[in-house]
Amino acid sequence: MKSPIDPPEGDWWNEQVNRRETIWLGLSGVWAVTLFGWMAGWMQFGEQNQVGETFRLSTSAYREKVEAYKQAAGEIDAGLVPPETDVYIGAMRYAFDGLPVVLETGTEYLFHLGTYDVQHGFSVRQEETLSKQLSLQMLPGYEWNVPMEFDEPGTYHVVCNEFCGEGHRTMHGTFEVRESVPDVAGGDGSDGASDAAYDGWFTGDARGGTTSNWGGSPTDATDADGVTVTVGPDGEYVYDPAAVRVSPGTTVTFEWASPTHNVLVEASPDGWGGHAPIEDEGFSFQHTFETEGVYAYYCEPHLALGMKGVVEVV
Amino acid sequence: MFGFGTFTYDDEGYRDCSVTGLRVHRSAEDMVKLFGLTAIVALLIGGIFAIFVAMTRWELVGLLGAGEFYTYLSIHAWNLLIFWMIFMEIAVLYVGGPYVLGRPLSLPRVAKAGYALMLGGAVTINVAIWLTEQPDQAPLLTSYAPLPSSSWFYLGVVVFLTGALVAALPFLATIWHEKRENPGKTLPLVAFGAFITAIVAAEAIVGGLITYVPTLFWRIGVVEHIDAAWYRQMYWIVGHGSQQINLLAMISVWYFMTHVVGGAEVASEKVSRTAFVLYLFFINMGAAHHLMSDPGVSAAWRVWNTSYAAYGAVIASMIHAFAIPAGLEVGRRKRGEGGGTFGWLWSAPWKDPGFSATILSIILFGFLGGITGVMMGQMQLNMTWHNTLATVGHFHATVATGTTLAFMGLGYYVLRLVFGREWIARPVATIQPYLYGGAMGLTSLMMMYLGILYGIPRRHPSVMDIPGTEFSFAAARPLFVIFGVTALLSIIGGALFVVVAVGTLLGGDRYEGALPVDRPTTVADGGGHDDTPHHLMSMRGTFILTSIFLGVFVVMWALNWYLLSQLWQVG
Repeated sequence: MKSPIDPPEGDWWNEQVNRRETIWLGLSGVWAVTLFGWMAGWMQFGEQNQVGETFRLSTSAYREKVEAYKQAAGEIDAGLVPPETDVYIGAMRYAFDGLPVVLETGTEYLFHLGTYDVQHGFSVRQEETLSKQLSLQMLPGYEWNVPMEFDEPGTYHVVCNEFCGEGHRTMHGTFEVRESVPDVAGGDGSDGASDAAYDGWFTGDARGGTTSNWGGSPTDATDADGVTVTVGPDGEYVYDPAAVRVSPGTTVTFEWASPTHNVLVEASPDGWGGHAPIEDEGFSFQHTFETEGVYAYYCEPHLALGMKGVVEVV
Repeated sequence: MFGFGTFTYDDEGYRDCSVTGLRVHRSAEDMVKLFGLTAIVALLIGGIFAIFVAMTRWELVGLLGAGEFYTYLSIHAWNLLIFWMIFMEIAVLYVGGPYVLGRPLSLPRVAKAGYALMLGGAVTINVAIWLTEQPDQAPLLTSYAPLPSSSWFYLGVVVFLTGALVAALPFLATIWHEKRENPGKTLPLVAFGAFITAIVAAEAIVGGLITYVPTLFWRIGVVEHIDAAWYRQMYWIVGHGSQQINLLAMISVWYFMTHVVGGAEVASEKVSRTAFVLYLFFINMGAAHHLMSDPGVSAAWRVWNTSYAAYGAVIASMIHAFAIPAGLEVGRRKRGEGGGTFGWLWSAPWKDPGFSATILSIILFGFLGGITGVMMGQMQLNMTWHNTLATVGHFHATVATGTTLAFMGLGYYVLRLVFGREWIARPVATIQPYLYGGAMGLTSLMMMYLGILYGIPRRHPSVMDIPGTEFSFAAARPLFVIFGVTALLSIIGGALFVVVAVGTLLGGDRYEGALPVDRPTTVADGGGHDDTPHHLMSMRGTFILTSIFLGVFVVMWALNWYLLSQLWQVG
């Protein structure tokens, strides 16, 4: 009787091992060596290896790099066109800065992955075949440069798959791979005098990114008693209208149309406090503006995407 | 203790167990009851929260919104992955040490102090998660810095881990006293396994303290900055290390239960003990597979640690995968209960929930949990597994199916042999392991399919509707239906265990020591015992079963690599 709850008797170390158990030990050993050998071999001969250089840098330094890249990148309807073969992506709660971007088949791009705040996940899949997917970790304080080359044209969807806060599930971006991409020259960052309005609040020179729906002049509502500003219409990271001009005593209603936004005040003549808690669609609040002046505000989670607004009381 | 037990002790505090032949001291028994019952309370809490988590991910029901989902998920994770497991593991240590060695528990006051700290920590963690307020976020299991959680949460973790370390000391002291008194005697295999478990546990817990003390200081502002890559590497020492405690405790329970209920013997002391020693040196590197798709560690570090873990720990697991069924085969053949190739299995006590839970635990852990663990531990394959629902499927296969079933099986015998009470509702007890194991196995499998074939991310309350985009994972809807139904069934299966356990404690008859198989001790002492050495016994049934296992392993491995090879070029 060899019981596992009694001390073994005699010279148990030198007892013979059953032949079949010995064979199994051999099989296990061979299998472990195979597992390792295949993995090491794939590093040499395989096409999918998540390796690349890593750099340590502050989140603000990485954000500046992405901003500089975006300035140099061209833009077409579908998104940014990288100036060279570098693609910068900056993850933040709850968006991917640098996406959407348009890429070419057969070109090896160097993906620069980093974040502006907390840990995020770069989880990519092909729209048509969901099983073609991979995930890479994105860490604040680190820039990871991973080369990727795409053979199949189509839309690729990126979702964040590292929990980054309550709005985690809304974090989504895309890039498009085409047979060929037009050669678009990058912008120089300022296009027209209208950018100077409100001390350049809507440009990338002020805090955060460039406001995409700023048309150069505010919506005039000086005759209206009440005005509605939509927060995040259609899931876009903007306030609509970006700037509105009203008369004193006008009530402005802020209506949330997509989740995880707030209204923080950058500048205000009378100490207006905005609405700091992050809210989801369906939420709204009102404020009656009495004092003349420019009230500049922004969305804290999406400032880097240029989600900024102005109420001008005249 | 508690008045739930039916046994009486002699003047020195001992009693003789009529089933196992063990001489049990009250000091150990009281603590096993205390830790075991607390574990079941944690199982109950975690199970209740599982309902909300599963019914949110099954979006047809869509129970919770995003904010609540993360809170419920965090409580579900901490209670089931940490509290249910670690309270139970301390009980396993006290069974594997004082019980098996027939000694009193050394330092019983230290055990009580450890219990108090663990309980205080667990309550603090649960309350802190429940009361999380912006800008703090629910910690989930990982509390990845720099995403902040409540400072009370970090404090609770430090207290709980300290408590677990303190609670392990009486076990180590018991082993120490045994070796001092009997320096020439070898520890029984189960005690040896428990000893290795305690060392691996101590490593994990010390790693956890090194992680969470600085993180607590960072959260309360004493430390300015916390590095995300440092946190991940350190966190996984305890994050995965705690699950290695589960693994080792579970394997010790497998040896114990197959022996007590099935009449298994040790196929080879040398081989099984060597496998435990391999774990001691290599299993901690299993944690490296959490960093396979990370920027913070080099490719060489990743390949070395994956291979190192593959060589050491995978071989150890494959040894146990053979040794335990082989022990059962040999033990049953010897007592004349195993004709032919699989006669030893057909004649086994399948209606005994202690036996069926143990065997299901072995099979499901191996096929579902073990194989997938090796898959995602291969550096390149990890890209397709990382942070998808497939990862969640893996650890539901290992912990929720494998370890939980093993602990349920042990739990059934704790009710009989420690509390001295016969199970109530015998038919319910008989089907419970099959219902729970079958449903949980399917749930895990669905999560793996959803993760690998559809790339469904983990930790999302909804993937059918992503705000701000037309894109969604709606193609995966049919699999989510199976997932939802099987998840509900597993929760019912888990609830039945709690019902039987609590009902038995409160109203079970006195247990009279009748086992469905001849008592191993009686057989051992009896005259007609077969004394053939084990190396001459047939292990052909086991060899066929493990060959099927290896075949499935190879096929799954090849399929995973095929899927990876279909991807665009990376690196």
